[in-house]
Amino acid sequence: MKRSGLWNDIKKYKILLLMLTPAVLFFLLFAYVPMAGIVLAFKQYNYTGGVFGSPWNGLDNFRFFFDSGDAWRVTRNTGLYNLAFIIVNNALQIFAAILLFEAAGPWFRKITQTVMFLPYFISWVVVGAIAYNLFNYDYGTINVLLGALGLEPLDIYNTASYWPLILIVVSAWKALGYGTIMYLAAITSIDTEMYEAAEIDGANVFQRIRRITIPNLYPTAIILMLLAIGNIFRGDFGMFYNMVGNNGLLFSSTDVIDTFVFRSLTTSNEIGMSAAAGFYQSILGFATIMLANYAVRKYDSDRALF
Amino acid sequence: MKQNKNFMLLLAVICVLVAVLSACGGGSGPNANQAKEPASPGNTGASEASEGAVDISQEATLKLLMIGSKPTDYDEVFGELNRLLKEKMNATVETEFLDWADWTQKYPLKFAANEDFDIAYTANWAFYNDQVLKGGFLELTDEMLQQYAPKTWEALPEAAWEQAKVNGKLYMVPNNNQEVTDKVVLVREDLRKKYNLDPVNSPETYAAYLKAIAAGEKGISPFGAKPADGWKWHELDQILLEQQNEWNLVDYNFPLGYKLDDPSGKVFNVYDTPEFTQLIEYYKDLADQGAWSKNIVSNKNDVYQDIKAGKISSYAQNLGTISSNVGEIRRDKPEMEVNVADLTPDKKKIGAISTQNGMSIHAISKQPERSLMLIDLLQNDKEIHDLTMYGIAGKHYEPVGDDKYNPGPSYANYNLSGFSVWGWNSLLNRTDASYPEEGTKMLEEWQSKVHHFPLESFVFDDTKVKNEVANVGNVMLRYAIPLEYGLIKDLEKGQADLIKQLQAAGLDVIQQELQSQIDAFLAQ
Repeated sequence: MKRSGLWNDIKKYKILLLMLTPAVLFFLLFAYVPMAGIVLAFKQYNYTGGVFGSPWNGLDNFRFFFDSGDAWRVTRNTGLYNLAFIIVNNALQIFAAILLFEAAGPWFRKITQTVMFLPYFISWVVVGAIAYNLFNYDYGTINVLLGALGLEPLDIYNTASYWPLILIVVSAWKALGYGTIMYLAAITSIDTEMYEAAEIDGANVFQRIRRITIPNLYPTAIILMLLAIGNIFRGDFGMFYNMVGNNGLLFSSTDVIDTFVFRSLTTSNEIGMSAAAGFYQSILGFATIMLANYAVRKYDSDRALF
Repeated sequence: MKQNKNFMLLLAVICVLVAVLSACGGGSGPNANQAKEPASPGNTGASEASEGAVDISQEATLKLLMIGSKPTDYDEVFGELNRLLKEKMNATVETEFLDWADWTQKYPLKFAANEDFDIAYTANWAFYNDQVLKGGFLELTDEMLQQYAPKTWEALPEAAWEQAKVNGKLYMVPNNNQEVTDKVVLVREDLRKKYNLDPVNSPETYAAYLKAIAAGEKGISPFGAKPADGWKWHELDQILLEQQNEWNLVDYNFPLGYKLDDPSGKVFNVYDTPEFTQLIEYYKDLADQGAWSKNIVSNKNDVYQDIKAGKISSYAQNLGTISSNVGEIRRDKPEMEVNVADLTPDKKKIGAISTQNGMSIHAISKQPERSLMLIDLLQNDKEIHDLTMYGIAGKHYEPVGDDKYNPGPSYANYNLSGFSVWGWNSLLNRTDASYPEEGTKMLEEWQSKVHHFPLESFVFDDTKVKNEVANVGNVMLRYAIPLEYGLIKDLEKGQADLIKQLQAAGLDVIQQELQSQIDAFLAQ
């Protein structure tokens, strides 16, 4: 092995490195540089002092969150919702990808893909409005249907227990197309010789799926899940806020860290306090991803992220 | 192992980069501080101001900082304005607009960064006290005002000047517009007559009106509320809790108020009163009879549009808005008979304090004299006032007499709702010609009996209790709103829960801090 200095590597891979540059710059600028702003979480921010000149105030900014008595509830909600989203969404996406790959002709596949992809582009604001017109007590589609069938109307917006299910279904509906395309791409890249060999050996469709397709999807699935786990303590604000809004009756089962912090701080504009909440989420996210990665590495070191 | 090494190298590089970058950032902190020093309230203008007559021989350019979006026809209207200003005071203006979307972030930064501008829009809801305390505005002395803004000095009542003072010193030319903050409700007169009901003028007659519609009209929701945007009160609270009991809430972010006729200004938790207990019974009764949609707290529709479409029969707002709505409905939908109704006609009315809108001069402005002259013209020169408020006659508006107007063909491209021209509201303001007479009459009547009280211009400084305010607000959304809209079955338990949660969130701490600030304010 010859001398492998950093300079030699750069020279050797210059095209590849060049292609990498935009992504590295992006993360440097938007993920690493702002990290210095974490100091805000420990400061009493004022405009004259700015980010670095403002006076320190210890853990004061964290007080509102932990004093509220809601810290545990919203953290648990955030974690559980995201866990459910990860499991349900990935399972459905894999299922849909396999179905499309196995069962559909090229035309049908293209059209189905497009239709499934559409919800991904609908903004949460619009989804929120659609949901309101579906679930509304007085004139919502669901209650009109129930009424026509002679059934009692459902008071969805005042019943917290319906909401975990609603949110999981809506999230799955919206993410389905996007994930399916990723998994479909992974399936298409599986070596077709394996399928031919399996067919010659007399394997039926289900055996092929179980023995070839699914094992080959593991790497993709694990990477996608690990990436998602890093964000497990960040609630999708757009989704929760637009679906639930400021409806106090639903908070017990729908409040996530992001909506809680938003509600608490919109009136006070306290930058330090929101930085503190963000810092708390980052710490939790960091811990979970390290743990998850450690677990994956123990089990199969090739599939870990790092 | 190799993989790990690379990772460590990457980490090291990142650490170095972050350290370097943050050091660069850190350097600007102290510098900014130094630059800020000269801007402290000690003013440069006052000494010059007392000397001699106004010298306008040199052409001046004044920079204006406004809140709101730039109107489409800004160039045309302000081009005309600059022509007039050149004649009257040998000056031109340039305007910078801070869009509604992010003005709360940008506005303080403009001051913090010591940017070059002369005049800024300000208001009690737009950092006035904050910026005064931080040294952002120039102190205005009586002499300066008499000399450079004589018309405004004459026209604006003494009380308005007084209300704009912070710790005894004036930093704002407040607008001259005697608004009343009390709220009213919009009522469908055609429906009221259909059910043979008494005219709506009290909480009881209003309840009867809502219940009759709930019982008789399919497809009309009697009462509507604006889409939930974090507002922490029932939309009728201002009328039925504050106006009806003659209380005043200090800040809508927490439930502490005082009685208007209490000279000691003792604050109390409004949720912990027999009046509130009665009120939630009143609300519960209405809710149970279908006076509002079960989903009112999740509403996403514009309530006024729903009223216009005939889906909702009433809502609460301030007098100006409801009156404009009534005017518009009468013009566009004459078959729908609507009117303004005051549910607390005999109670004390509270006037909007003058700092609701106003213009201030930047502490580091080099031309405070010219700036005052400009504010004087904007507020009290008929030609310039009309132009800046309503645009160009015949294009953006049609003047009707001296004090009314009709929207012109290009109304949408320049009108007084786009940006903060209200900073120079004055007696020269025109009203929309479709504005109903009832509204004007009611306002005149209210104005004649506006109640003035010592705490009128008190503003709470929440710096010490920010954590508690944040948490109390959350409790109100979660426990008070459902209780008030009658969504909780057991009222007694609901109220007890609400009070208990508020204590846990630190309402007592806010109350103590507030009381001590009020005591200090009254002692002055």
